[in-house]
Parts: sequence; C-alpha cells; structure tokens
Amino acid sequence: MSEAPFVRIEGLTRRYGAVRAVEDVSLDIARGELFCLLGGSGCGKSTLLRMLAGFETPTAGRVVIDGRDMAGVAPHARDTNMMFQSYALFPHMSVARNVGYGLRRAGLSRHDTAARVDEMLDLVQMAPLARRKPDQLSGGQRQRVALARALARRPKLLLLDEPLGALDRKLREETQLELKKIQSSTGVTFVVVTHDQEEAMILGDRLGVMRDGRIEQVGTPVEVYEHPRSRFVAGFIGTANLLDGTIAEDARDHARIACPEAGLDIHVGHTVAGAKGEAVCVVLRPEKIALGAQAEGLPNRVEGRVEQVVYNGNLSMFHVSLPSGTRLRAARANTVRGVDAPGPGEAVTLGWPGSAAVVLPA
Amino acid sequence: MIRLAATLGFAFLYAPILSLVVYSFNESRLVTVWGGFSTRWYGALLADEQILDAALISLQVAVASATIATVIGTLASLALARHGRFRGRFLLGGMVTAPLVMPEVVVGLSLLLLFVAMEQAVGWPAGRGFVTIVIAHATFGAAFAAVVIQARIGALDRATEEAAADLGAGPVRVFLDVTLPGLAPALVSAWLLAFTLSLDDVVIASFVTGPGASTLPMVIFSKVRLGVSPEVNALATLVIAVVSLATGLAAWQTMRTRR
Repeated sequence: MSEAPFVRIEGLTRRYGAVRAVEDVSLDIARGELFCLLGGSGCGKSTLLRMLAGFETPTAGRVVIDGRDMAGVAPHARDTNMMFQSYALFPHMSVARNVGYGLRRAGLSRHDTAARVDEMLDLVQMAPLARRKPDQLSGGQRQRVALARALARRPKLLLLDEPLGALDRKLREETQLELKKIQSSTGVTFVVVTHDQEEAMILGDRLGVMRDGRIEQVGTPVEVYEHPRSRFVAGFIGTANLLDGTIAEDARDHARIACPEAGLDIHVGHTVAGAKGEAVCVVLRPEKIALGAQAEGLPNRVEGRVEQVVYNGNLSMFHVSLPSGTRLRAARANTVRGVDAPGPGEAVTLGWPGSAAVVLPA
Repeated sequence: MIRLAATLGFAFLYAPILSLVVYSFNESRLVTVWGGFSTRWYGALLADEQILDAALISLQVAVASATIATVIGTLASLALARHGRFRGRFLLGGMVTAPLVMPEVVVGLSLLLLFVAMEQAVGWPAGRGFVTIVIAHATFGAAFAAVVIQARIGALDRATEEAAADLGAGPVRVFLDVTLPGLAPALVSAWLLAFTLSLDDVVIASFVTGPGASTLPMVIFSKVRLGVSPEVNALATLVIAVVSLATGLAAWQTMRTRR
C-alpha cells in the first residue's frame, strides 16, 4: 500500500446535542473502489455520507479526499457528487436540463454541455426521453436520470444514498448489476449507503457495517459473511445460529467449545483466540448444517425434532428444536425435485464439519 | 337531503349577490322595481370621472401592495421554515399571522396613529394618501401571503436544493434555479390573494387615506350612504367579476400544483 488512500476518514464524529449520530469513524477507501456502508435505520450511515458531501459539518475528525482536507469546503465547491434517495430531480426542468445543470454550473459551454448530456443519457439508456419532465417518468427512469446527473460532472467521488431503495425487487436486481457495470466502466469511486445487506453484498467491493454511529467491521463481502467479527455483524448479515459456550480445549490444529445449549462439545477445525474456560459465541450459518443422511460422519452431530419447514423455492429452511430447547436453523438447497425431506414433528440428525463454526468472544 | 342543504346554503350565500347582478341590468332608475333589461348604468359608470379615478387608484394600490406583501411574505416564510431556531423565531411566527385575526378597525387605527407619529418624528410619510394605503395593505396582505407560501415551502423537497448545491450552484443560484421555481405557484396564489384583499378593503383604507386618494370601495361606500343607485349596482357587479377572476385564478393555481 504505497499509494495514499483516495478517501481518508479520520475519527469522524457528528453529534446532535447529546445524540451521537456518527462516533469516531475511521475508514480508508481506495481509488475506483465501490464501498458500501451498511446498517439499519438510524445507524449513522446517511449522516456519514452527508459529511462526505459537505451537507453536515463534522463535530470532530476530518475527511481527506484525494489529498485535500475537506474541512470548511462547501458542497458546491467539492469534487463529489451525490445521488439522493428521493432522486431530487428538478421538477421544472427536462431530463436533459437536469443532467446538464451541473455542467453549466461548472462553466461548460452550451455545446459541450449538450454533448456530455447525450453521452450520459446514452450511458443510462435514457436518450429517447431527454425532453420529458421528471413527473412523466417511472421510478426506474428517474433513478437513471439521477445517476446520469450525478455522474455528468465526472466527480472524483460519487455518493449514493439508498440508490435503489425506491425500486421494486425485480428492477432492483437488474439495476444492481448495471450500477456495478457503470461504476467499473467509469472508474469513479462509489460510496453507497444501503440498509439492504443482500444489496451491499452484491454491489460492494468492500462493505462497512455500521451500528450506533460506529463501524463494526470493514471487509469484502466474503470476509464479512464468513468471518464476522462480532455477534451483531453475524446476525445482521445473512441468517446465523448463535450459540453460547465456553472454550473446553484449544489445541494446535483444533478446538473444542463446550456448548450445553446444543448438548455437545463443538469441534472446531482451527485454534481459537482466548483462554480455556473463556465464554465465547459460536456462529453457525444454516447452509453449513447438514440434515439426515448428509450429517453422517461429520464431527459435530446433534439430534433434534423438526418444528417448521419454510420452503423458499431455491432452498428450504428447517427449524429444528434440540432437547435443550434451543432452536437451530438448517438450510438445504432444493437441487433435486421430489426428494422427501423431514416434515414437522419428525426426528432429524443435524451435523456440521469442523470448518463450519466461527468462534467469537462472547 | 344533502342536495337540499347544499342548495339552501348556496342560496343563502349567493342570492343577495345574484340579485345585485341582475338589478345592475335594470332599465329603471328605481333600484327595487324591474323596468326591463338594459346596460345603461354601465354606460353611465364609464362616464363617471370620480369612479374611474377611484378604480385606477384601487388597482394601483392593489398591484403595489400585493407585490410588496408577496416579497415580505416570502422572506418571512423562508426565515421561519429554513433557518432553524433563531432568536425571536416564535415571536416572528406569531406576529406574521397576527393581522389575520386582528379586527380591521384596530389595524386601521393603529396604522393611522403610527403614520401620524412618524410624520411628526421623521417627516415621512408626508401626509396620508396613496403611499400610506399601500403600506397598510401590504401589512395585512403579507400575513395572508406568508400563510400561503409557508404551506408550499413545507411541501418542497429540500433535497432538490441540496442537489443543486451539490452540482456546483452557490446559495444565490440555488435560490433562483430551484427554490423560486418551486415556490412560483404559491407566489402567484399569494399575490392574487393579497391583490383581492386590497381591492376589497374599505375599513383600513378609510383610516389611513388622505385627501385625493379614495379607493373604489370607499367611493362606493360614500355613494351608497346617499342612496343606492343602479350605477353602484353596475360597479359592484364589475368588482365582483374582477375579484372572482382573481380568486378563481388563485384557486386554480393551488389545485394545479397539488396534483
């Protein structure tokens, strides 16, 4: 890492009276990266984004974009552009004038503006509707115009606040891939705020999971999903079984976690951080737990009773209650049609390999 | 049942006005006796210098005061809606709308006292007349304008202003390019409302006017005191037409933007 990070956020804090919207966030974002800020509502992700855009003044800390300290720089003087959650298109201007607005402000001639507007509208496939007013467009079309407008000035950094939040599911999935494509073809650094963990995983080169104004974990989607660093992250990203236990044995190549809740010592295929007897939390993803015959021969096996089966099409989620009363969720992909699965009330064996569990400090 | 109630309600409200309009086309000099259809009183009206002068003054006062009222109302609304908490915000909010509920006699009298005191203290306004009526009408017109404009500011998407700033527009450009066009329908409504109110007012104008500046309602009022003439009916009909047109436009503007 010889090159300085493109965006450097240091100890950034924003308080409203006693309310801490963003608390001591430090983060580096590389040039050309698509970074997702993920969190529930009120976690401070939008406030953080607005501080990057200059709409909010940090209480403490600083933002450096491409080597320039942004303290005291007004929004209109920054090389960042934002795509708003509501899209915020100018209702009295046509699509073309909306897209060209920032270019005119940047001092481009009428002729150059028109050329760039055409280019942008081609990029988002909105050229045929250039003369329409925003209220004559569908939600998906408005989203495209907003993106084109935000990209038109060729910002160094594009900030997107829930860019796909207002679209229906189908359109959303298509647009996610398109957004990623546009990002890599333009090479602009994107920071995307979203509350949708699935979207963050699809879009982001890396994600930052936020909670109560702080960043809980930063990493690639794989890192964050497979190696969550806290209980919160494990529960927030995807589905997870969380079991409490204590470290019973920590050897060179494996460990055992005593877990009365599950009724067994969980065998883990790697060493764990922590001393013997220390309380830990074991994270088990449902898709890593095998059922019935597939559980045979696995080092961790428990007997339970199926309480509920939730059929999801591509996979089924089995809610299994253990003798201790703890419920585990196990997922099975519905790869073969008509295979009989254990139904509610039936006894079932669950099993998982030593690589399945992630052990966190409790 | 509802239809009957509505009919009665409308009759109660508009029968007097309708009879006035009908009698303005009366041939007879006697107001209460129908003597056949005629437009002679409209003709007589157009030949009446006093009335034509008063109408001109009324229109000038209405245009000037409505314009001032709209500007002040816009500034007050923006201050209230956009500048968060500042010292005196609560007071401003209350005072802006106070003229709406203040009796006209009180407003008229207080303005008269103010103008007299100011003339003695600073020599302006010198005497009372056109200028003082405009100021007085702008005062209460601004209150109505502020109410109309504030409602619109609340409905504006703040993010569009931020978007303009984000795209490189300084504060003035943001106001001219985004805020003002967004407010335009409300500004038109507010102006028309203030214009109508100014055209209607007789009480406040009577207090603050001076020699040579009689507005149309004042002239009508003094004429009626000498007995109702069919000419006044014709004049009143024209006033109703102008006022209805203005309020109709204002309502249409509001409806169009709500859509």
